[in-house]
Amino acid sequence: MAVALTMARMKLSILRHSTKGQQGGMMASAGSLGVLLAGGTIVLAFLGGDWLAAAYSVWMLGWIIGPVFSGGGDETLRPEFFSLLGLRPQRMAAGLLVAAFVGVAPAVSLLALAGLVAAGVREGVAGALVAVPAMVLQLAVFVLLSKVSVALMGLALGSRIGAIGAGVVNGVILAFLGQIWVFMAAFGQGGQIPEVVRYLPSGWGLLAVQGEYLALAAMAVLVVLLLLAWAALLTRRAGRSRPSTRGRRPMRAGTPHGAVVAKELRSWTRDLVRNHQLAFAFTYGVAFAAVPLMLGIEEMLPLAAPLFIMMAAAMTANVYGTDGTAHWLTLMTPGASDVRGRQLAWLAAVGPVGLALAVICTAVVDGPWPLVMAATFALLGGAVGLVPLVSVAGLIPGIDPKNRGGNPLRTSEDDGSATGMAYLMLALVALTAAPAVAVAVFFGWWGVPAGLLSGALCWWGFGLLAERRLTARGPELLHLMRTGRAPESGKAAPGTFQLPESMSRTQRMIVLICASFGAIPLVPQGIVAMVFLTNGQLQHSWFLATHVSPGLRWPVAIGFVLLGLGMYGTALWLWLRARKAEKPAGEVTDADKLAAQHH
Amino acid sequence: MTAPALEIKGLAKTFGENTAVDHVDLDVPQGSFYGLVGQNGAGKTTTLSMAVGLLRPDAGTARIFGADVWSDPAKAKQLVGVLPDGMAMPERLTGREVLTYLGLLRGLSKEVVAERAEELLSVLELDVAEKTLVIEYSTGMRKKIGLATALLHAPRLLVLDEPFEAVDPVSAATIKQILRGFVAGGGSVVLSSHVMALVEQLCDHVGVIDKGRVAAAGPLEKVRGAATLEDRFVELVGAGSTAARGLSWL
Repeated sequence: MAVALTMARMKLSILRHSTKGQQGGMMASAGSLGVLLAGGTIVLAFLGGDWLAAAYSVWMLGWIIGPVFSGGGDETLRPEFFSLLGLRPQRMAAGLLVAAFVGVAPAVSLLALAGLVAAGVREGVAGALVAVPAMVLQLAVFVLLSKVSVALMGLALGSRIGAIGAGVVNGVILAFLGQIWVFMAAFGQGGQIPEVVRYLPSGWGLLAVQGEYLALAAMAVLVVLLLLAWAALLTRRAGRSRPSTRGRRPMRAGTPHGAVVAKELRSWTRDLVRNHQLAFAFTYGVAFAAVPLMLGIEEMLPLAAPLFIMMAAAMTANVYGTDGTAHWLTLMTPGASDVRGRQLAWLAAVGPVGLALAVICTAVVDGPWPLVMAATFALLGGAVGLVPLVSVAGLIPGIDPKNRGGNPLRTSEDDGSATGMAYLMLALVALTAAPAVAVAVFFGWWGVPAGLLSGALCWWGFGLLAERRLTARGPELLHLMRTGRAPESGKAAPGTFQLPESMSRTQRMIVLICASFGAIPLVPQGIVAMVFLTNGQLQHSWFLATHVSPGLRWPVAIGFVLLGLGMYGTALWLWLRARKAEKPAGEVTDADKLAAQHH
Repeated sequence: MTAPALEIKGLAKTFGENTAVDHVDLDVPQGSFYGLVGQNGAGKTTTLSMAVGLLRPDAGTARIFGADVWSDPAKAKQLVGVLPDGMAMPERLTGREVLTYLGLLRGLSKEVVAERAEELLSVLELDVAEKTLVIEYSTGMRKKIGLATALLHAPRLLVLDEPFEAVDPVSAATIKQILRGFVAGGGSVVLSSHVMALVEQLCDHVGVIDKGRVAAAGPLEKVRGAATLEDRFVELVGAGSTAARGLSWL
């Protein structure tokens, strides 16, 4: 137990240090959001039926899938820290498990699990008493499932086949979750919760509270089994992937531009994390669009290509950050157009697949050709422009590839910001397609040239902005990547994705929520709903505007668009205001002077 | 009078409260082999990073053969080859691919790049690892491929941060030989190190940096006087009385 307590104390100290400053702000925002969700879960305990069990299954999925998308989960204490101590694997896993209970996410989950107490009280004294061990065991099940799945992913990412396989599995799971209504319509009758959620491991705590004490024992057994599995996986973790000894095709490029493209394309094919990301984006797009076929709904199939492109952009949103300090080479070779080369490579990696997907899926359902092609071209151009720009403007320092250790998913210490950036990218890329989609909706085939034009403009314009910023702020970006901190010494921060210090917590929270969720009213409930309205597709899944009475349809859709724009506007306004406040007027930094000289 | 290979004037950098480099002036004459010595954290890396354009100084200038690193970066950076300490490379490329990529970025022709890459790989004994990606390289191999990238475009000045750290003796001998040959051919080298014996063996000029300032600089003979460089260094940076103290439990 001494080991476990020491590890827990160590984690507490590290967390105490990181609550200062920016990361603390993120933690507070995420924590507050978590508390809200936990509160909502507890309320469900007072409803009848399987609502609580269903909610806990969502929490469990969050624990399992979350780390895959937010940089490998909590790694405050890394197993590598203790490798020289000679601890037995089980003892180390037990220690790390106890330490894993310390933190914001476990605390919030424990709060949500307090719903068990509420449910227990309804059953009587025995139920209330059983609720306490049930909470702890249930939380241990969550945490361990998370750890084991991350460890398995880490192993999978050691080989190409594993990386792609894991991407496919994750894509399918996430797409199925996004389209859960299809399964509810197919299996549950009239919005009822399928009974199976009660018997998932996430429901065992509730079963125990309701008098099935065997479930308590089952959880204990599961915890032990998972702990053993994790311990076994931890010993495998140290083993890095085998060095590959395949023959390499020689680099045939002959120009600086060609060299950047060749380098990037090799990274795309050789980096297993990128393999995984592309496989994920592809599977997600296809599965999300194809799932409604189960109900005979064909209209969503042509969404596959746009979704794939958007996901691919989101996954690569921090492309400069993940390359780490290799940026110094770009600094030492001024004049070689790094951004343009990366754009071309991105297009070469994603474009052909995206186009093929668009053509095939639309041909299968003989779907709205102008709309899909307009969206595909616009999205490709938008993504190819925004990926380098967002990545340069909002750089999140990554961990240099050689220092990533046993968890290949962990490309950045600041996984919260990295996740936020991916969401932001999804929304921004979708926005770039809005004009072309609008033209396609109203004028049919004219949408395609509109898409090509807007795509080309985004490619050229955003690329130019990215290139300029890279030239003007190159050394600052390198410093940020080296130290994880923006350069201080009286200069303005180089526009990282960090929120300005002068913002209050409430303001940060508002900005974070608006930026993260603004896309929901804007894109699906607004723009997409308008598309359905125009095509006369009513009663369409969760697009609210297609369900209301005729006179309200357009107002509702327009209202959602305005709400979405308003959310982004609010976030942007608060952010700009705070940045202005940080940088008093008249103070011109050396960097600004230099940038002015350049242009 | 010809411009110095590297001329640093009043370079300064502060990180928060901590003054890392406090108005450093250094002149590296053409054709010299210059050793920059100092304790860990003395400001060697920060100074060199600012001198080659990898870190923006708060104040001061750096010129490479007269070309200002910050106002005329294209010219200055063409004349210098840099080996930073502990920075990433394009990790998913093989050694040959890294050199090809960088050579093309530097604007060299395909044929020249191929020729030089071949020679560099064979001299630095990296050609045996032809199929290995840089991410799989050992620390010593990383230093060697870094040195190869610094030499590739035939610079006239080399700025090397800790080039011998974690390098095995055989590779170190190879690197020393290359560097001596480079200086004999008219090139200039600046390297940082905290190994005095190495600096004494290789360099003809030396700069001692302590707490972000230049404690002494000039030709090796002048700086060390009658003593060894190590004695002189300890005297300059005033290491105090920690040397004699042992550990109580051993």
